[in-house]
Amino acid sequence: MNRGFIQEEMLHCTDVAVLERQRARMKWHQDQQQQSYFGGTEFGGGGSGVFQGHEGHHQVQNFQGLVGTGGGDLMLGEVVSQSVKVVDPAGLKNRWAELGRLELPQPDLGFESCGLLNGTSSEFEMTAGAISRTSSCPPKAVVAAVAEPKGKVSAPVGKESSKKRKADKVQNTQVVVEDEPKDKRSKLCAEDGESKITEQTSAKNTTADNNNRESSSDTSKENSKASEVQKPDYIHVRARRGQATDSHSLAERVRREKISERMKYLQDLVPGCNKITGKAGMLDEIINYVQSLQRQVEFLSMKLAAVNPRLDFNIEDFFGKEMFPACSTSFPTIGMPSEMTNPAYLQFNPAQVVACCGLEMGINSSDMALRRTISAPMSIPETYIDTPCFTQLPPSSTWDADLQNLLNLEFHQGRSTSFPSQPFTGSIEASNLKMEM
Amino acid sequence: MRHPISLKQEFLKKWILGLQRCGFSSKKSTSIMERKKAIKLSADLAMASTRNGTTCWSRALITNASRDHESKILAQQILGPESQSLKKASSTMPPVICSRRIRSKKILKRSCSSHVRRVRKIALPQKVLSANSVAKRLVQKRTNILKSLVPGGEYMDDISLIEETLDYIAYLRAQVDVMRFVASASEVVNQNSD
Repeated sequence: MNRGFIQEEMLHCTDVAVLERQRARMKWHQDQQQQSYFGGTEFGGGGSGVFQGHEGHHQVQNFQGLVGTGGGDLMLGEVVSQSVKVVDPAGLKNRWAELGRLELPQPDLGFESCGLLNGTSSEFEMTAGAISRTSSCPPKAVVAAVAEPKGKVSAPVGKESSKKRKADKVQNTQVVVEDEPKDKRSKLCAEDGESKITEQTSAKNTTADNNNRESSSDTSKENSKASEVQKPDYIHVRARRGQATDSHSLAERVRREKISERMKYLQDLVPGCNKITGKAGMLDEIINYVQSLQRQVEFLSMKLAAVNPRLDFNIEDFFGKEMFPACSTSFPTIGMPSEMTNPAYLQFNPAQVVACCGLEMGINSSDMALRRTISAPMSIPETYIDTPCFTQLPPSSTWDADLQNLLNLEFHQGRSTSFPSQPFTGSIEASNLKMEM
Repeated sequence: MRHPISLKQEFLKKWILGLQRCGFSSKKSTSIMERKKAIKLSADLAMASTRNGTTCWSRALITNASRDHESKILAQQILGPESQSLKKASSTMPPVICSRRIRSKKILKRSCSSHVRRVRKIALPQKVLSANSVAKRLVQKRTNILKSLVPGGEYMDDISLIEETLDYIAYLRAQVDVMRFVASASEVVNQNSD
């Protein structure tokens, strides 16, 4: 039962395209593999894990280069760069497993599987090598150590090879797989269990198994190599159980994930969209929102056109408002957004004012006050910003003009006669004029 | 994404500049519809040029504005000196997109026809198939509507459409805010001067 489960897993996670590419490239890898394999056996037999680690490291680097040149495939490049990362702890585990094998009477057995999976950084090798020199723990303790860290990292190493070996020994895999039957972990676990099995069986002196493995070592070597590359792909895309893994469905899944991620952003942006689930409903909401915004733009431009007889309407009234950035707190009804009234914008004003002053020459008398206010910020825009209320204002002629406009606004909005208009004698007549109009 | 305040300021600045250019050129009194059109066009173009031609919708907005003959003159007036650079930015992209669109249409047609054939042959369980297709059709319909709403949306695929919609909504919001403010301000002043 468990065997069937694992095989199903294998089939699901095997990306056919990647596998074929790997096989096409396998002849290149063969030499490289042989090299590392032999290096691994030689130095590993000597008991120094450091050298072995170097070999493994080189192997991964070279392998990366091979894939980069041979494949020319972006995805593969990613895959390999990930595989280097992912393999680190896995390599440590392999070290551990190898340690266990080193202690065994038949040390050459372990290298068939482990020499191939040497991809790891030298630090891990250093530690592992140090341990291999110092510790002489029994194989079962080592296996326990192997089983410990595997929960975190999902590194399904040597899937194919373990599958083939599992065909030999069903009962042992069952024992191991029962520990962690989850999908990704089970593969790693199977591999770990596989190494455990090799130890156990070799301890039991099953020579028939040895022969079997020797015969299948060539193919399993290739397959483990292939699966080493293909596993980060698997991690990357996250195909779950029962999901299709051909390249089209993978791409489609990635696309859908991207879309749903953006949809989430849209959900945040569009009001009232966060309660709705489902793509169609969300699109409805988005469409409504965009349409309402566009209609608002239409309506507002219509309104502006209706209100203003001239095209450059908004300049005078706009500056009529912009004169009083700081005083807008005392005129809450104006409803001026505070973000428009910072000094950075005021610096923009004088340049505009020059242009519009020239424009507005021949307007009726009611605009005179406004035009005078427009000319005001050219002289003192900075002092204006910091004045919180107008009772502290210095009585200068330009201020009078501005306050006149202030008075106008105030009269229009609140009709407040309590406005302190005493200090501004020059402006009173003009404001009265305005009121009469 | 920039800060909305600086965005609004830049938009307002550009809008007023564009309106001024319009006002300079057309001294004669215009009808309300013409004015409305000029205002809307200048606001749209200001929004697009605030985006600096980095997104598809802004480029499409500029090209759409300069495609129509009478609005072309207006757009040139509004854009003024920066029209050259923006035009360049906007004119470089559409041919590529157009060709891609044609190609993808062909592919789409082919894949659609083959899909239909396959469905007929296999004859899936009718309920599942209909539910799937109904959902797909709903989404497709809405996507098409959205494509017609976002400027230049008909040339986009799904992912970029959603990205562009995100960006476009942000800018539309800023535009609406600024316009609403200006409208209320001008209303106040006009009532005041009446």
